[in-house]
Amino acid sequence: MLSLKITRWCLGYVRFSVTGGSPERFFNYCARSGIILWNITSRSSSSAFVASGLYRALRPLARKAGCRLRVRERHGLPFLLRRMRTHRGIVYGAAAFAVILILLSLRVWCVDVTGNTTLDSRAVLSALAENGVSPGTRIAAVDTKRVEQKLMLMFPKIRWMTINTQGCMMQVCIQEKTEQPQIVEQNGVCNVKASATGQVTAIRVYAGTAQVNLGDAVAQGQLLVSGVVEDALGGSTFVHASAEIIAETSRSCEIRIPLRQTLREPTGTHVVRRSLQLFGADFPLTMIGKPKGNYDVSGTQTDVKLFGTLLPVSLYEEVWNGMQAKSVEISRQQAIVKAKEKLLEYEKSLPGDAKILSSDVSDRIEQEVLIYSASLKCEENIAEESEILIKS
Amino acid sequence: MVKKENLLVRSGLHMPTHIELNGNTEAIVDGCGGVLEYDTDVVRIRTGKLIVRFTGRDLVIKCLTADSLVVTGYFTGIEFLV
Repeated sequence: MLSLKITRWCLGYVRFSVTGGSPERFFNYCARSGIILWNITSRSSSSAFVASGLYRALRPLARKAGCRLRVRERHGLPFLLRRMRTHRGIVYGAAAFAVILILLSLRVWCVDVTGNTTLDSRAVLSALAENGVSPGTRIAAVDTKRVEQKLMLMFPKIRWMTINTQGCMMQVCIQEKTEQPQIVEQNGVCNVKASATGQVTAIRVYAGTAQVNLGDAVAQGQLLVSGVVEDALGGSTFVHASAEIIAETSRSCEIRIPLRQTLREPTGTHVVRRSLQLFGADFPLTMIGKPKGNYDVSGTQTDVKLFGTLLPVSLYEEVWNGMQAKSVEISRQQAIVKAKEKLLEYEKSLPGDAKILSSDVSDRIEQEVLIYSASLKCEENIAEESEILIKS
Repeated sequence: MVKKENLLVRSGLHMPTHIELNGNTEAIVDGCGGVLEYDTDVVRIRTGKLIVRFTGRDLVIKCLTADSLVVTGYFTGIEFLV
C-alpha cells in the first residue's frame, strides 16, 4: 500500500466533489471508461480521488450523468513543483543538493591509516594514492584486495592489513611485523681475537683457552682465546670460545674547523601561502606565487575533523623564510668551542662499553683552518669472535 | 463490442461474481456490474443477475474499477435481491 501511495503522490492526484445529477451513474461511467477512482464518499457530499492526469477525461462523463465536478484538493509532486515554480532558487538548490549528495556519496572522502607504529602514515598514504586510493576516488573503482596485496609487497614490514570502507571513509588497518631477535651463534667453532691494539687489564674467559695474560700488550687481530681446548690426556676438542678481554686502548681523532665560514642567515622577509585541499585538489586561498630567490620553506597541514571523523577538507600553510649567505670569520676560541662539541659527538659514537680514562688535546691553525687533535685513552672490551673454518 | 470478462472467468473459474468479506468491515467484490445506489448507510451493486445490497454505517467505496469494487465501513446486513 505504501508503494501505491508513493506512486500516486509522484504522479499527483486530486480530490473532486460531485454535485447534482446521479453520482452513481457518473461513478459507473468512470469505471467502465477505465478511470480508477478511490475513496469515493457517499451521496450527501459525494467526492472521490483520481489521478491528476485523468481529471480532464471525467468532464464528458460528468456531463453525461448530469453532474458537476469541482476540484477540492490537489496533492502530489507535480502540484508541489508548480507551487515551487515561483521560488526557483529553492528548486535549484534542492536539485543541486541532491546531485552533490549523490555524487559525494559515491566517492572516497578521506583515508585514515591506523595501527602503524614504525611505518610513516604519509608513506602509506602516498603508496595508497599510487594504487588508486585517495580522496576523491570513486568507491566502486577501488579493488581493496588488490591494493592490500600491492601494499604488502611494497612494505615488507606489514604483517597484515585490511582496507575497510565505512560509508565514504576508507580505514586502512595495519599490523606490523615483530622484529626477529638477533640470534647469537653459539654452535660454530671460533677463536677470540683482539679488535683493537692495547694492553690487557682484565680477562674473563667463559670458554676456550686464554692465550694472553694480564698486562700483555696485544695488537689488533691477535689471538686472545683459542677455541682448541686440550685435556689432561693430550686430546683436543674444539669449542666456541667466549671471553671478555678488557684492554687499555688509545684512540686519536682530528677535527678541522675552518675559521672563515659561510652561514645562512634569515633576512627577515617571510611569505605565507595558504591553500584549501578538498578531495585531494588544491584551491589557493592566497594569491601569491612561489617567491623566487633564496628561501627556506616549511609546511603545515591542518586536517579538519568532525566528531572524530576525518573530513576531506584540510588547510595547508606554507611559510617561506628569506635566507642569505653570509661569510663570517670566527675567532680561535669560537672554533675551539665548536671543535669540543664535535669531540663530544665523537666520544658518544664510541662503542657502548668503552670508558674514556684520559684525553690529551692540542690545537693549531693551518691555512685558516683550526686543527683540533685529541688523543683518548680508553678502556674497552676488545674480544671479537672469529670463526674457525674446518675442512672435513 | 467484446464483453469484458472478470478475473474469475479469465482464470478459468466460471463464477460470475466473487465476494470476499473481511469481518464486517470490508467487502471485495469481483465481477461487479455497476453501482446502483450509494450512500453512507447503503450500497447497492449489480452482480450479474443478482443485486447485492450492503447496509451499515459509514460505508465508503474505497476503490472502483470496471468489474470490481471495495466497500468498507461497518456492515449490518448483506442482502441478495433477484
